[in-house]
Amino acid sequence: MTTHPTPTTPPAPQDDLESRLGDPFDDDNPVGYAAVLAADEQAVPLVAGEHLLDDWRFNHEFVPRSLGGRWSGTDALARRLRPVFRRDPALGLGYGVTSLMAAVNVWAAGSTAQRRAVADILLGGERIAAAFHELAHGDDFLHNEFTARITDDRIVLAGGKQVINNIERAGSLVLFARNGDTPDPGSHSTLLVTKRDLPQESMRYLPRFTTPGLRGCHLGGIVVDDASIGHDALVGAPGQGMETASRAFQVTRAALPGMAVGVLDTALHLTHDFATDRRLYGHVVADLPHARATLAAAFTDLLIADCLATAVSRHLHLAPRATSAPAAAVKYLVPLLLEEALHDLSVVLGARSYLREGRHAAFSKLFRDLPLVSIGDIGPTSCLLTILPQLPTLARHWPAADPPAELFDTTVELPELEVSQLSVTDSAPDPLMGTLAGVSADDGPAGRLAADLTELREQCRRLPSTELGPGAGADAFDLARRYTLLLAAAACVGTHRASTGFTGESAWLTAALTRLAARLGHGDGLLPDDLTETLFHELTARVDQRLSCDLECAPVFR
Amino acid sequence: MTVATAPPVEAFERELGDPREATGVFSYARCNALDKAEAFPDEIIELVNAQGLQRHYVPEEFGGALGEFPVVLDLVRAVARRDLTVAIAHTKTFLGVVGAWVSPNTSMTHTLARQALDGFAISSGMTERAHGSDLVASEVRAKEVRGGFELSGEKWLINNATRSRTMSVLARTGEGPRGLDVLVVDKTTLRPETYRCLPKVRTHGIRSADISGLAFDGAFVPTEARLGRPHTGLETMLKGLQLTRTLCGGLSLGAGEHALRLTLDVAERRRYGRVLLDQPEAVRTLADAGADHLVNEAVALVGCRGIHAISEETSVVAAVVKYLLPSRTDRMIADLGRWLGVRSQLVDADTDGRFQKLARDHRVIHFFDGNTLVNLNMLVNEFPAIARHVATPYDDEALRIALDPGRPLPPFKMRSVRLVTRTGSTLLRALPDLAAGAAGTPAGPLAARLLDHHRRLLAELADHQPPGVKVPRHVFAQAERLTLCWAGAAVLGLASHADPPAGDPLWTDGLWQRAALGRILAALGEPTGRPAGQDHELVHALRDRLRNGQSLSVLPHRVAEGVGR
Repeated sequence: MTTHPTPTTPPAPQDDLESRLGDPFDDDNPVGYAAVLAADEQAVPLVAGEHLLDDWRFNHEFVPRSLGGRWSGTDALARRLRPVFRRDPALGLGYGVTSLMAAVNVWAAGSTAQRRAVADILLGGERIAAAFHELAHGDDFLHNEFTARITDDRIVLAGGKQVINNIERAGSLVLFARNGDTPDPGSHSTLLVTKRDLPQESMRYLPRFTTPGLRGCHLGGIVVDDASIGHDALVGAPGQGMETASRAFQVTRAALPGMAVGVLDTALHLTHDFATDRRLYGHVVADLPHARATLAAAFTDLLIADCLATAVSRHLHLAPRATSAPAAAVKYLVPLLLEEALHDLSVVLGARSYLREGRHAAFSKLFRDLPLVSIGDIGPTSCLLTILPQLPTLARHWPAADPPAELFDTTVELPELEVSQLSVTDSAPDPLMGTLAGVSADDGPAGRLAADLTELREQCRRLPSTELGPGAGADAFDLARRYTLLLAAAACVGTHRASTGFTGESAWLTAALTRLAARLGHGDGLLPDDLTETLFHELTARVDQRLSCDLECAPVFR
Repeated sequence: MTVATAPPVEAFERELGDPREATGVFSYARCNALDKAEAFPDEIIELVNAQGLQRHYVPEEFGGALGEFPVVLDLVRAVARRDLTVAIAHTKTFLGVVGAWVSPNTSMTHTLARQALDGFAISSGMTERAHGSDLVASEVRAKEVRGGFELSGEKWLINNATRSRTMSVLARTGEGPRGLDVLVVDKTTLRPETYRCLPKVRTHGIRSADISGLAFDGAFVPTEARLGRPHTGLETMLKGLQLTRTLCGGLSLGAGEHALRLTLDVAERRRYGRVLLDQPEAVRTLADAGADHLVNEAVALVGCRGIHAISEETSVVAAVVKYLLPSRTDRMIADLGRWLGVRSQLVDADTDGRFQKLARDHRVIHFFDGNTLVNLNMLVNEFPAIARHVATPYDDEALRIALDPGRPLPPFKMRSVRLVTRTGSTLLRALPDLAAGAAGTPAGPLAARLLDHHRRLLAELADHQPPGVKVPRHVFAQAERLTLCWAGAAVLGLASHADPPAGDPLWTDGLWQRAALGRILAALGEPTGRPAGQDHELVHALRDRLRNGQSLSVLPHRVAEGVGR
């Protein structure tokens, strides 16, 4: 069977980042892989890349249109930034995306003046650091120690933050600090701090943190010793920090994994290139069934990841009171899909996947970068802990109704996202999961997963309150895990229905659901030969024509 | 098992020193610094040589200490547990010399033995730039000239190519798979203009190692340099690889144990206001990793004992070990890394950057001495023998020797190694009896499920048609399932034959056996429930070993660092 990939979007407009980045395989391209790898070796930012992003006004992407920026749809935000993650995740994060992680907290709870100030900082091309992380506590924010002692007229800051991107290069930071003594959600506050407002002698930087991946990023730290600032630094009310973060990070939990999909896209292009070029045992590697099946499966998984990230990013706008758990599901599942797919592809590449030189050297860099790209604000356990307590409520909100068409149709412009309107816990019908709930149990592979959803619903309803927190049993956590997989299945079904492209073909949906079903305990996830061939041919056509392997099927690497 | 004397590995560990002492020769801090500088660990290799590890690469009959493979496994694992780069750089000499042991005895055998015993690195020149694992496609040519051969061409991506004194080179002396010979090339005897060392290749992990190559241009080697009869080079390499692949298990076990020790240590801390060890989800993650590690240990230990007990089945054993251990250890490290989060990714802070280093280092084990697919392919080639001999009686005594660590091992007969078995796998044939033996014990139901799966797999294999080079994907999956059934048999066998330490909680009510079988069944797509408390008991039993300064082993020994991480 021959397929003809067709880009689902019009030809690249002038502001398209991919076309500015050009051909990565051109050694003379200052933002090609040769330059990217050289910067990685030296552990410095890719200077030409940073200038390119300056010119493109990267930070405008993070500012809502109503404040003069370019952010409208969150799925479009992820897609527009994906080219930089396809090229160099260290550039995307390092430049970087952490300014978005900082800004969303101000969009969620900032005053009009603070929103204007942050918009002006970003529109002026400046960075904002997101100073949340403390090494001793990981993603256990409630036990963070950095203190903001609020007195009648001042706020006194003291403590340390570690592994903070661009802490030295940013002029300001969004800081998460404790204003009370107890580890409860009301004891933390968000602060917007301009660094030059801190007395110089009260602040020092920690040595840079070195990591095996994202070596070009400036990951640093800060120690503050009784620095006093004004009350106007408070973003939202004192004690509102946890609530603000819970709203704000829904955006980044959906959007960042959506950007990271670009990493697997490049890995697929590189591995396909290797497999069609290399001969082993008298055959081209791509003619060996194992290699072919691995490439086909990784391509399927990339599209699954994109379906989930895209649908949930749109869900933020369309169902703002029901996206807390879906956003956590994206943050949990997409990095896992991407990392495992990269691992599987490394088996095809063999020793070439282990080298920092040669034509496929970018692969080993992506392999080092990806786990760090995936860390974000919280790790997998915390994602599941965001979902778990909500499961009994969620189970009541999976309507068996057709979702709104615009949930999956990316050509429909979305209303601007009001981050402050996102609810901290979900309390409204979830049209995304509703997509799967509406499938009849005898309707093929989707039906089997719909039956799983029915079962999950029953199990969630029966979950005792003792099983809804960090002390819950592994079986309860497993329900949260199953929730993320079924949500991905729902996204695939919905995307399939709305798509006129390759994902609209039944072969793709069957392949995607076969892969997800295996993770839910049905079968081994191996694709039948005919599905493998369909996927492999589509992949080959895309790689040959230099089209992306994601939902967009857009021109890349030209 | 009653151990009258401490196993050799304890003295070895002690002599290597406490790796936490930053100023020690073989310390974690030192290894991290060398990795960052991409500088070869010369001084550490000297220390390891001084402790005589290289003597275990040479059979006793040639003056070495290679008697029992499980002993070598322990020693390799001990080095790998501190630093995989050092272990990989040192053990490569085993592959460099093993071709001589599986070949008829000549003057070259003694030359190689002497060089290895003296601590010279000896490399193995198998792979080439354009052919990777496809050894038959080797292009390096050995032209027959008077008194010997002239070598031309390039061997690339070779561990220790530059620093080794001698390389065993797979070279083409004729056409096709039978047109290959192994020539022992002592660089000190070559005219300098006839060879050159290729630049160090920059790699993802093992950055301190010497991964390079050797280019020959009419390099002369004498006729005596050839191992074995003419045109048996491929066979020599493949037989030698069976032994090194089995020992590779020690590399993965060491790295896996290192990752597990680091993570168990972190688990003592608090998160979300409680000690992590009181959180069932955290305990589940640790228990799964711990059980995976114990599965791996059973496979490697029974595999190494099998080299002695059932030598003619080493082809199956080697493929099972070299497929299962690297791939499952890699997955375990990835799972633990995700659970650790940022902490697993820091080079300087926290635990000397040990986690990120071992994770990078370990990935290389997939690619050398035969990759994942090469090993699964080996097993696919065994399918006909395995299917045909399902009901053939097995040698009961040989099986007991393979499974009981308390029994003395017969000397290994190097030259009885075969490329393919005659009768498949003794361990698999014994699975029904091993499962029957477990009936009525806490592991009984799990053993029965494993046996049931194995029977279904054998029924599928009965219809197997040799696929040639283009092995269908589902056939690889059958080979994967076969390795898991073999692992299950190793677990059941070891658990029922070994003499456990008195009162050891890991052995109480078949604890480790249940956990290990549960993980094997889950990997076979047959997840099982587990009794309340099992995860907790397993993690605490492992943590006790850590605290008591013991290896994370079903039959533990003392480790150099004593208590702590």
